[in-house]
Amino acid sequence: MLTKFETKSARVKGLSFHPKRPWVLASLHNGVIQLWDYRMCTLIDKFDEHDGPVRGIDFHKQQPLFVSGGDDYKIKVWNYKLRRCLFTLLGHLDYIRTTFFHHEYPWILSASDDQTIRIWNWQSRTCVCVLTGHNHYVMCAQFHPSEDLVVSASLDQTVRVWDISGLRKKNLSPGAVETEVRGISGVDLFGASDAVVKHVLEGHDRGVNWAAFHPSMPLIVSGADDRQVKIWRMNESKAWELDTCRGHYNNVSCAVFHPRQELILSNSEDKSIRVWDMSKRTGVQTFRRDHDRFWVLGAHPNLNLFAAGHDSGMIVFKLERERPAYAVHGNMLYYVKDRFLRQLDFNSSKDTAVMQLRSGSKFPVFSMSYNPAENAVLLCTRATNLENSTYDLYSIPKESDSQNPDAPEGKRSSGLTAVWVARNRFAVLDRMHSLLIKNLKNEIVKKVQVPSCEEIFYAGTGSLLLRDADGVTLFDVQQKRSLATVKIAKVKYVVWSADTSHVALLAKHAIMICNRKLESLCNIHENIRVKSGAWDESGVFIYTTSNHIKYALTSGDHGIIRTLDLPIYVTRVRGNSVYCLDRECRPRVLTIDPTEYRFKLALVNRKYDEVLHMVRNAKLVGQSIIAYLQKKGYPEVALHFVKDEKTRFSLALECGNIEVALEAAKALDERSCWERLGEAALLQGHHQVVEMCYQRTKNFDKLTFLYLITGNLAKLRKMMKIAEIRKDMSGHYQAALYLGDVTERVRILKNCGQKSLAYLTAATHGLDEEETVKNHSYVFLKVHSDINAIAAKGKAGQMAADLDMDAPGGEGWGDDAELQLDEDGFMDAQEGLGDEGVGREEGGGWEVEEDLDLPPELDLPAGAGGGAEDGFFVPPTKGMSPTQMWCNNSQLPVDHILAGSFETAMRLLHDQVGVVNFGPYKSLFMQTLSRGRTCYLGLPSLPCLRSHPQRNWKDCGAKQGLPAVGLRLSDLISRLQQCYQLTTSGRFEEAVERFRVILLSVPLLVVDNKQEIAEAQQLITICREYIVGLTMETERKKLPKDTLDQQKRLCEMAAYFTHCNLQPVHMVLVLRTALNLFFKLRNFKTAAGFARRLLELGPKPDVAQQTRKILAACEKTLTDAHQLNYDPHNPFDLCAASFVPLYRGRPVEKCPLSGACYSPPYKGQICRVTQVTEIGKDVIGLRVSPLQFR
Amino acid sequence: MAAQQGDVDELFDVKNAYYIGSYQQCINEAQKVKRKYAVVLDDIKTNSPPELQAVRMFAEYLSSQNKRDAIVADLDKKMAKSVDAANTTFLLMAGSIYYHEMNTDAALRTLHQGESLECMAMTIQVLLSLDRVDLARKELKKMQEQDEDATLTQLATAWVNIAVGGEKLQDAYYIFQEMSDKYSSTLLLLNGQAACYMAQNKWEEAEGVLQEALDKDSSHPETLINLIVLTQHMGKAPEVTSRYLSQLKDAHRAHPFLKDYLAKENEFDRLVMQYAPTATA
Repeated sequence: MLTKFETKSARVKGLSFHPKRPWVLASLHNGVIQLWDYRMCTLIDKFDEHDGPVRGIDFHKQQPLFVSGGDDYKIKVWNYKLRRCLFTLLGHLDYIRTTFFHHEYPWILSASDDQTIRIWNWQSRTCVCVLTGHNHYVMCAQFHPSEDLVVSASLDQTVRVWDISGLRKKNLSPGAVETEVRGISGVDLFGASDAVVKHVLEGHDRGVNWAAFHPSMPLIVSGADDRQVKIWRMNESKAWELDTCRGHYNNVSCAVFHPRQELILSNSEDKSIRVWDMSKRTGVQTFRRDHDRFWVLGAHPNLNLFAAGHDSGMIVFKLERERPAYAVHGNMLYYVKDRFLRQLDFNSSKDTAVMQLRSGSKFPVFSMSYNPAENAVLLCTRATNLENSTYDLYSIPKESDSQNPDAPEGKRSSGLTAVWVARNRFAVLDRMHSLLIKNLKNEIVKKVQVPSCEEIFYAGTGSLLLRDADGVTLFDVQQKRSLATVKIAKVKYVVWSADTSHVALLAKHAIMICNRKLESLCNIHENIRVKSGAWDESGVFIYTTSNHIKYALTSGDHGIIRTLDLPIYVTRVRGNSVYCLDRECRPRVLTIDPTEYRFKLALVNRKYDEVLHMVRNAKLVGQSIIAYLQKKGYPEVALHFVKDEKTRFSLALECGNIEVALEAAKALDERSCWERLGEAALLQGHHQVVEMCYQRTKNFDKLTFLYLITGNLAKLRKMMKIAEIRKDMSGHYQAALYLGDVTERVRILKNCGQKSLAYLTAATHGLDEEETVKNHSYVFLKVHSDINAIAAKGKAGQMAADLDMDAPGGEGWGDDAELQLDEDGFMDAQEGLGDEGVGREEGGGWEVEEDLDLPPELDLPAGAGGGAEDGFFVPPTKGMSPTQMWCNNSQLPVDHILAGSFETAMRLLHDQVGVVNFGPYKSLFMQTLSRGRTCYLGLPSLPCLRSHPQRNWKDCGAKQGLPAVGLRLSDLISRLQQCYQLTTSGRFEEAVERFRVILLSVPLLVVDNKQEIAEAQQLITICREYIVGLTMETERKKLPKDTLDQQKRLCEMAAYFTHCNLQPVHMVLVLRTALNLFFKLRNFKTAAGFARRLLELGPKPDVAQQTRKILAACEKTLTDAHQLNYDPHNPFDLCAASFVPLYRGRPVEKCPLSGACYSPPYKGQICRVTQVTEIGKDVIGLRVSPLQFR
Repeated sequence: MAAQQGDVDELFDVKNAYYIGSYQQCINEAQKVKRKYAVVLDDIKTNSPPELQAVRMFAEYLSSQNKRDAIVADLDKKMAKSVDAANTTFLLMAGSIYYHEMNTDAALRTLHQGESLECMAMTIQVLLSLDRVDLARKELKKMQEQDEDATLTQLATAWVNIAVGGEKLQDAYYIFQEMSDKYSSTLLLLNGQAACYMAQNKWEEAEGVLQEALDKDSSHPETLINLIVLTQHMGKAPEVTSRYLSQLKDAHRAHPFLKDYLAKENEFDRLVMQYAPTATA
């Protein structure tokens, strides 16, 4: 049983949950009705109008109403929104025990000590029926949740079931008018009663205190002073006692059915609440209080919540945890629902059951730890008695049918918590609170002594977080030592960020965010329970409380994102989606507005461009944001929000942005602004602005001094003039003094009547005017040097201070230096010792040798078999390397090249495609070889180890390996495009080279099916056609065209070229060339043929137009002027060496690889196309697939 | 070290950092420990010079190409006499030198005398280079019996797993991954992961890991070699591959990979001579 909320008050006699809001009403023995918010744990309202105890209390299901009944015989109907009693129903003649609303009709049912049950219409505010029959106090009366029935319990030891269908028909049938109750019988003119007793249930042998219907089944539960809880069953005609639950040892106050489970709850004056299993009639749980008798029970209509009232208050509780056990890995969520382990893919939202859990525990799974490497889970189950807790280790089946998943055999052991600490290790906190490390077979590998610990949490590989009473410790399991500790009470959950750089520790009402070293970064206190949390991808912690989704930055800033109706358990946060599980274990996705925390995060990270972007686009502007920014020390950002000049001005000053401040000051033009700006600008040495400020404020003294210190003598002189005009004698004199203008000073003194002073001044600086003029410069210098001196002094002061600052630093260094010396000395000493040590050790070594005579002999490798019986070490012979196996397993040349066996590879190429000149293959061989092995580092400073990627690594076993080829047909095909482009742009030689590389690469392919074999052969053909054609064209261009014969030869070659199989785009070009040449040669007939072929290819409009013209011209005289060795109608192959047509039927020799044709004399020579193969060689043929060997 | 099992090993962090190739951290940690346990070290030093000498010998061997023969000859002499089998450092250094010399017999014979995890790990490495996975597995079992959770055992498990291949590749990958989670990712671990990925033909994944390694050190030879393999398997333009190759040639002339490569080129040239067309034009 989990207590969610507790109150202290006078005795609680009545309870009612609000069906939607988190409220509960408690009616007290002292006449007060309290309205509590059990989620926020606050008292919302108090209603104090009853005189004496209030026993009946009930919320209306839809209206903002509740009804109460008290020992003052009054039934009161209240509106909690208006916070007052609406009206009072009078009629009962004794204490009222219970009051209930009907779920549908405007009725109230009340039970009273006056031995009657009454039904009231709260709309007409009248009593519509009185049910008489009990002959003692009626302790309880309730409506049936769906039928026209009432159940009542009385101290006359009976439980009665009443049929009120008559009342309903009379009052609620269309057109019916409710009639005032006549007398107290409720019997109408015809003697038919509105409510009749249907069943009388006798069985309790003391007064019955409570009776209630089952929400869906025809069952009744009752509790009585005979200390028993009885279950009754009824049908249309009769009702009978089904069973009795014995266990309470004092009067049973109240008994209710669990709204959703096969359970009954009862409480009693024996100070206990008991939970009974309905089918087995046995007690499952007992909850006791020390001093308080229980008086009433309330069940929430929808949620797994109950309330119980006792002598000194009430408790709100639930029977079991509703938190689903879940674990997140990457994009997968694993969670337990209804004895199944389910897997949810966040991306595709595909939700499947992956396995069925072993049954046997009556407790739900408490927590889960998932191991992605082994695809295994640890599921921990907590028993009421912690010592009986167990965990199960399952490995999740790889293939699973979601409809009917496997139920693999798990391994179960006792232990409080089990958590993975490595790929093949998990830690178990056993009931003795010691830590065991186990392997995948659930065998104990080692026991680790840990500091006192009551719970363990995951903390990355090899580490655990241990929780004790007042803190959490990061513990390294391998080293068996604590690494760090942080104080926080009762951590319940731990959430690591994806990169495990941060962790959030969640306690009941607090969150602490720490870094990897468990240094606390921030602490957040919550008034409501903290439920769950997850890190979003930007490093913000998103968490939920009972009623909010909130965020927390690692800087400690936190706030509300949105409210929640019911608690959820966050599993993952991405963008503005919060993935979560609700209490029914349903995966849900909620959307949130992340702007606020993104904004704050950007601020913390000083990404101002992002901040500004958000400011401009998200319309965040508001006073609160400005205040926030100012408070957090981001005036410069706040500046961008503010339009109001005054705020702008003060913000600008705060962040020292003089330009903006100046702008604002200009707009404001207030004296105080200018003064403040002046000060700020002076501090920054922004003397132009200072000058402006002084000018605006007409602060002549300061302005004068400013000019002096900035050395602006011209302006200073102007100031002197101004002072003169203003008749400011002292200012005038001062300026003159600053300027060193003695004559002026003399004049001023003279003018203001200080003649003696004027004289004195004149005399001091030389008597006559000339001299004063001369000395003028000297004095000026002197003043300036004074100023310099002052400045220098200032500086010296500063420097002195600097030195002072340095002094302790020096000492620090001194310390270090000393330390260094010590260390040096120490080192020396060590070295000294070392030398001695060497001597001694060597002596020892010799001794050892003398002791053992044999070893040198044994060490001789030649000592064959000498002492083979004991531990004589024979170095192993070299094993069979994967590359050797590749050669054994394959007849494909590329496999041999990859294996580094060039010799066999060459032989294969020679035999299969007739390669005799391997020179051009060198780079291909070397490249291929270099992709055959990867490397990884073993021990430091040793040569690296080699690994050999294999294409059949999954199922090759130790012997059947074949190398990963790394050359794909598709890659070669895509490389064709490059060659085509080169051809189009007329770079024939380059193109030929590239075509040839492709051609040579084809025998180094490995393909899987017949189609690909055919494609490979086709690729060869394409390359061959292009190479032959392009080579011929290159050749043709080199030939002279002086004589007719030469021209004829050129035309012939151009004509042959049109018979190479090229891409249409290239064929258009080729045909145009041929067309032009033949047209020029006046071979109109053949030219016309070319023109028609060209037009068939659908060339561009301009080309087509020109071609048509030429065609028209040709068709006028459809003859050939010259006889050429070219017959377009007689099929021929082209000799790739001599470029002459080899008409069908004539002998021809072919290249074994490219299939290029040659006239017989070329047999035995190197193929011109491939440049590697021998023409006319007898070969096996191209082999690029194992299929070809079957 | 084995004797200290159960106690807290003060040099734990140092060793770990060393094994996984995080040398800078290793040095930092070592300095930390040194300051604290100067006294302990002092104790060790009075009787440890043979070990230090051995280290010096190896360092000399690695640093000067031309002294190598002399050093090896000297070592042979020492080995011919009896060796103190407890001097693990000496055994390791001797084993390393022999291994560098490709004298695997001598290396194995030397290492066979030691019983420390380090010796066994090196034995495994030598055996793997001899393609004796069967023997390596046996040796690994011995290591696992001694301390299965030790960093070195885990690493050795990963090496053997790579050599075994098949499903074991994923296990090897997880070992590397786990270590980089636990400590920090290093070139050694990243290349190990890359090797696992490539052995499973997971080229895209390997690219990510190798890119990370390249970011850490743009001229690390093993990273470059793996990139040479990778870029070809990913079907990248041949120019990309040759760029890594020339980078390797520039910075690591003496790397065994290049030695092999050059040897193969020569072999190729020799073999070409054996073929000729029957007729010439």
